[in-house]
Amino acid sequence: MASDQVILETINLDKSFGAIHAVRTVSWKVYQGRVNALVGDNGAGKSTLIKLISGALAPNAGSFRVHGQETTIGGPAGAFNLGIAAVYQDLALVESRDVVMNMFLGSEMTRGVGAIFLDHKGMLRQAHDVLNDIHARIPNVREMVRNLSGGQRQAVAVGRALIRGGEIIIMDEPTAALGVEQTQEVLQLIDTLRKQGKTIILISHNIQQVFEIADYISVMFHGELLGTRRREEATEAEIVAMIMGRRAP
Amino acid sequence: MLERITQGEVALSGRRRAQLLFLMDNGIYVVTILLFVLFAFLAPHFFTPRNLVNILISASLAGIVTAGYTVAILAGQIDTSTQGVLAIATVATALLFQEAGFSLPLTVILALTAGIAAGLFNGVIVVNGKIVAFVATLATQGVMLAIALFLSGGQTITITRAGLQEAVFVRMFGIPSSVWIMFFCYLLGWIMLTQTKLGAHIYATGADYRAARLSGVPVDRVIRIALVISALTAALTAILVTARSKQSALFGLAIAGSVDFVTALTAVLLGGFSLFGGVGRIERNLVAVLFLTILGNGLQLMNVPTGIVLVVRGFALVSAVILSVLRARVA
Ligand SMILES: Nc1ncnc2c1ncn2[C@@H]1O[C@H](COP(=O)(O)OP(=O)(O)O)[C@@H](O)[C@H]1O
Ligand SMILES: [Mg+2]
Repeated sequence: MASDQVILETINLDKSFGAIHAVRTVSWKVYQGRVNALVGDNGAGKSTLIKLISGALAPNAGSFRVHGQETTIGGPAGAFNLGIAAVYQDLALVESRDVVMNMFLGSEMTRGVGAIFLDHKGMLRQAHDVLNDIHARIPNVREMVRNLSGGQRQAVAVGRALIRGGEIIIMDEPTAALGVEQTQEVLQLIDTLRKQGKTIILISHNIQQVFEIADYISVMFHGELLGTRRREEATEAEIVAMIMGRRAP
Repeated sequence: MLERITQGEVALSGRRRAQLLFLMDNGIYVVTILLFVLFAFLAPHFFTPRNLVNILISASLAGIVTAGYTVAILAGQIDTSTQGVLAIATVATALLFQEAGFSLPLTVILALTAGIAAGLFNGVIVVNGKIVAFVATLATQGVMLAIALFLSGGQTITITRAGLQEAVFVRMFGIPSSVWIMFFCYLLGWIMLTQTKLGAHIYATGADYRAARLSGVPVDRVIRIALVISALTAALTAILVTARSKQSALFGLAIAGSVDFVTALTAVLLGGFSLFGGVGRIERNLVAVLFLTILGNGLQLMNVPTGIVLVVRGFALVSAVILSVLRARVA
């Protein structure tokens, strides 16, 4: 593990919402091909941090380094171009559209000149392939998203991230609303992604889950990043203490 | 075991829900055919070639503006400025053709350009001003009506110069060009909405603006385009109406009786669209427009007083609203 490479780095990232200082000069390293967990109490600033990384929010200060290159993110489209794809807490799926259209939303396959006409067949085929790759169980890809289970939705959202060439997949509390069985499904999905060499950023509340799946565990408290631990070197007690704001020695 | 039973129940109610939705969405086809057959028996002169062509002409005028209006609705934008665009474009057509003596093609191009300008204006207010379309277009409509009033001096401009009506109502296979134009608009709309990237983006933006934006859909551009399409079809309708009546039909109210925001709205709702955007098929609106036209035409032929026809139309809108609400509840 000593050879783990940093694929993405935030440098002194800062974000306030009016009087609320949600992210305070956070410098964070994300390791390639690993599951990088981000934990912390409610309101610690986790979602805000990953929204800065995925381009959904613009930072007030600070910068990014992706593959060693200093860069700006510049909106969701810019993030996609850098291989960063977020699976938002509410998944950002369009309920009244089917699985295929959701997976390709914003990056539709087209045919003919001018990229005007949709390649419905191509999208159908690739949607099947991608869902198979991640072992998703979705019987009908023409089903509207509103009729899918929580686990299936998660798979659709992850499928979308992969279709966009996502190398860094951000998942914000993917299991928060799921039952036991579907939670297990999502954890398997994360493991499958890791085996395929993807980098995963996983936000979670659930310490056991984090210890089960993560390679690195980072803790936020009141907008600050308190530290990052390798999973094998960390104890649950230590992480819990950090979550409650006790700075690591 | 328990979970399996629950799942089965969900699946069953899911199927029943799907059936109900199917009925609500496609009921308009059945109702339209029933109404047609009913009038064919009850209304004198209804089922004659002449009257059927008349129905198609009326439907074409309401239909074209509804097609564009539908696109705006799908993008989640309730465009209430239709009357304003109609007023500007009808005055522009009459002034340019009659007073300025412009050629027909130039007149048409400029009147359509006025429509595009009106749509862009709506887009600026909605997107840059971040104002809900329903409110924003109500305001812009006021501006447009004022401009039309100023340009026309408040007068109806009568067109005495030959060439406009004749050209716009040329018949192909016995059917006037306005009807062909309507079918062409719906074909184009259907292709755009179901076969193009823009169409996918329009549906997504209307259904869930936030999700679409986060997915990288250029939502603001999509809204601008939808509002331009809506205004453009209103302008096209205005040209046809002006040509048909040989005068500028000022301020919408006088326009062909049936071409207005309320008809478009009724048709959209009858067609199974959600007022909140993102749901619906444009071909159903064509049928809904035919339904409303047949309704008006048949009642008229049966010598039902205009007041009662208006009441019936009012009821059509009310039922359409109820249908739309029911649909949203089931879906
Ligand atoms: N869009 C926003 N506007 C105002 N305050 C916000 C916004 N988003 C988050 N916050 C605030 O920022 C802080 C961090 O929130 P968040 O990043 O969602 O935390 P977490 O995901 O760790 O629970 C909270 O106090 C929250 O209320
Ligand atoms: Mg959160």
